[in-house]
Amino acid sequence: MLKLTYFGHTTFILESKDITLLLNPGIWNGEPVVPEDVDVRIIVATNHDDDSMGNAAEIAASAKAWFLGNEETVEKVRSQGGKSWLLHTLKAEEAYETPGLKISAYPLQKKNPTSGERYENLGLYIEMGGMKVGYLGDTVVQGPFGKFEMDVLIAPIGGGEVFEVKDAVSLCLDAKPRIGIPIRWTSPDQPSNFAKYVSQFGQGVIPVVMEHDQVLEIHWAAGNEFRHTLS
Amino acid sequence: MSEHKIVNIDLEESETVTLGGRSGLDHIDVSGVLKVTNPSDRCRIWNVKVHLGETGKGTGIRKKNLPGGEIDAGGNWETYYTVGVQAPLLALTEVYDTCGSVETEDPHWAYIFGVDNPIKMTIQLKNNSSGQIDNIILNKTVPPELSEITIESATSGVAEFDEGTSQIVWKDFTIYPEESSTLVVTAIGKVADVKSKVAGEIVVTYRAEEQQRSILDPDMTALTEFLTGIENAETEPNHWECTLECSNESDLMIRLDKAAVFLVPEGGGKKELKIDESPAFEMAPDQDWSAKFDIESKSPPKCSQDVIYTPMKIVTKRVLGTIEKTAQIIPVARIGYTKVFEPPAVDSFDKTPVEVTIEITNSGSAKLNAILVEDDLPDDVMPPLKKHISVWIRGKEYTGDFEFTKEPNNQDPETTHKLTFGIRDLKDSVGELAPGETVKINYAIMAWKSRPEKEYPSPILSSATTHPAGLLATVAGEDHKLEVIYKKRSISTKKAINKGADLGEYVVVLVVENRGEVTAENVVVKDWIPPGFEYVSVDPEELVPKVSPARKGSNVTWTFTRMNPGEKKRIRLSVSGEGEYERREPQVTSD
Repeated sequence: MLKLTYFGHTTFILESKDITLLLNPGIWNGEPVVPEDVDVRIIVATNHDDDSMGNAAEIAASAKAWFLGNEETVEKVRSQGGKSWLLHTLKAEEAYETPGLKISAYPLQKKNPTSGERYENLGLYIEMGGMKVGYLGDTVVQGPFGKFEMDVLIAPIGGGEVFEVKDAVSLCLDAKPRIGIPIRWTSPDQPSNFAKYVSQFGQGVIPVVMEHDQVLEIHWAAGNEFRHTLS
Repeated sequence: MSEHKIVNIDLEESETVTLGGRSGLDHIDVSGVLKVTNPSDRCRIWNVKVHLGETGKGTGIRKKNLPGGEIDAGGNWETYYTVGVQAPLLALTEVYDTCGSVETEDPHWAYIFGVDNPIKMTIQLKNNSSGQIDNIILNKTVPPELSEITIESATSGVAEFDEGTSQIVWKDFTIYPEESSTLVVTAIGKVADVKSKVAGEIVVTYRAEEQQRSILDPDMTALTEFLTGIENAETEPNHWECTLECSNESDLMIRLDKAAVFLVPEGGGKKELKIDESPAFEMAPDQDWSAKFDIESKSPPKCSQDVIYTPMKIVTKRVLGTIEKTAQIIPVARIGYTKVFEPPAVDSFDKTPVEVTIEITNSGSAKLNAILVEDDLPDDVMPPLKKHISVWIRGKEYTGDFEFTKEPNNQDPETTHKLTFGIRDLKDSVGELAPGETVKINYAIMAWKSRPEKEYPSPILSSATTHPAGLLATVAGEDHKLEVIYKKRSISTKKAINKGADLGEYVVVLVVENRGEVTAENVVVKDWIPPGFEYVSVDPEELVPKVSPARKGSNVTWTFTRMNPGEKKRIRLSVSGEGEYERREPQVTSD
């Protein structure tokens, strides 16, 4: 079983019986999305922007959790006091494995909305709790995720720096995950449109729009029947 | 007898009827004149009394007997009254059907804007009385928006359309009790604005002789010039032959109702009735009537008389009627619409959800009962399912059922689709759509790899009906199309052949990058491995190629479902073998 708790923006905690994973503990409008004392084993930020890595250094120090990111992000955490022995650089298309968790990172891109410049944002293919989760963080490209087999796909929809709704919907159509979860929306009609379009055109993909602090539990009933429960 | 003069009591009652636009009774007034006319050339009648008894009930006349006083020769006396009734003797109904070509239980009641409305007017007059009605003249005003007026049929009488006065005149007929006459007129109605029109009023006048709306049954008594006397003639000693003689001195017919003579005893005492007759004798002018009796008396007998007579009367009566039917108000059915794609344009070669919003507005003056929309979707568009369509009426989401069909009934984006929507029987669900109110249909389509060189027309035909349904109020839009924004496609491929770790091993590096402005789909990268060499492995390992034999050597192929703008794939292909590693450039194709 895998439990996904949404903290808003792009932040999730994924929990299985073996491990707890924090994704993109960002800082938005000067406020960290998750408190420093959150108890997790591993933290991953998909890029070096504050709205992705946020207070990862403090959380890692407090929880003595591993921090994973690309080179630039790891360096930034290090510069913020992150302990070297807790930092791990994710290499493109190389899997990071620890008991109960396997993460494969794929270099995607985030766009500077002002200059149009693109820089690296990692897309994560996460295998934990018997589930396969695609987490695209802040991306404007889908990379190889359209071909991946996923139980859950988490994709941004806010436009500008990241996917627009149509791009996330298209990815759902391509990859056909069991569940599609939108993140990082900037207006309330974006998640509802995502849900509407995925429901209409997704050919079986279930859109799940999560609210802040809402928990999605997914598991295999009788070993082969996918079930999900949203708190 | 008939040439003799008889006092006339005339009851002339007038019923004035106002009907509403749909022929319902709005108002009815009945007033009457009771007139006593003395036809004499020279004789007055006096002590005139009109006896109504109980028949004056419901007329406003409270007295059972009305004093008429004196009426000089040739003069008259009259009194007025009213009568309370529920319905006229003659019933008028007009059915103004704005779509006579479509048979329905109830008539159509609205013009359709801008089209030839086949008008059918059916005017029926029914005699609800027990006597015949004649002198009927019906005038129907024809509204200016009508043309080609044709008298289709008239079951009796003569009907003509007078262009000068724009009136249909129907006359020269009699309707017998419980029978009816019908006039059918057809025309073409065409309206160029949506203001409600009037269908033209009807005025009918008629006369019903020997009929009345009251129950008045008048009688009359009066006096006039009339001579009475008793002649005593002694025929034998103390034997008297007495004769009561009456003579009509007037020029009127008089009826002698009573003749009584009493003998006054010589010595006094009780009078003895000698003549007591009720002859009801009708006396022409100068005609006499007499009665005799004998008396034994020593002196001339003293007699008194009691003679009652009255001028004879006849009662005539009639009802004069006028019906004014108010013109029916005929509203005009018209609709307007908007159709909006949001976004209005999609990037070429991309998949983009597009919201389609169709809003139908009742822009006429008639309430609408059904809205129908035919919406054509172009190819390269995935159409909606019914469950994803929302309908809004008056700004509120409509949860009732609506008709939806899709032809062909699939979601294949490679074919065009015709969507039809039907929201019917609004009167039984949320109420008819009033002027100014709207029905909105919203659904999403998925623009599916639209090509910049193609046109994606999406015409729409919207229509509406009133209840009952007749002609459709339609509005068509041919100019709608889904615009495509041309986004340049540019797939760049680079290839390097590097030596491997061991002899005969090579690492072929392929870099594929979408440098265009649009997502590329189904990107197929094909590279060639020369003869003598074989595919060994690939990095990243997920990108295992499809290896197939070529005429010489073999081909390795990768297919990428989508590559977003700026997306780059770097493939490191390891091959090994012997011989010369010939270089050929990789081939890249995409949708």
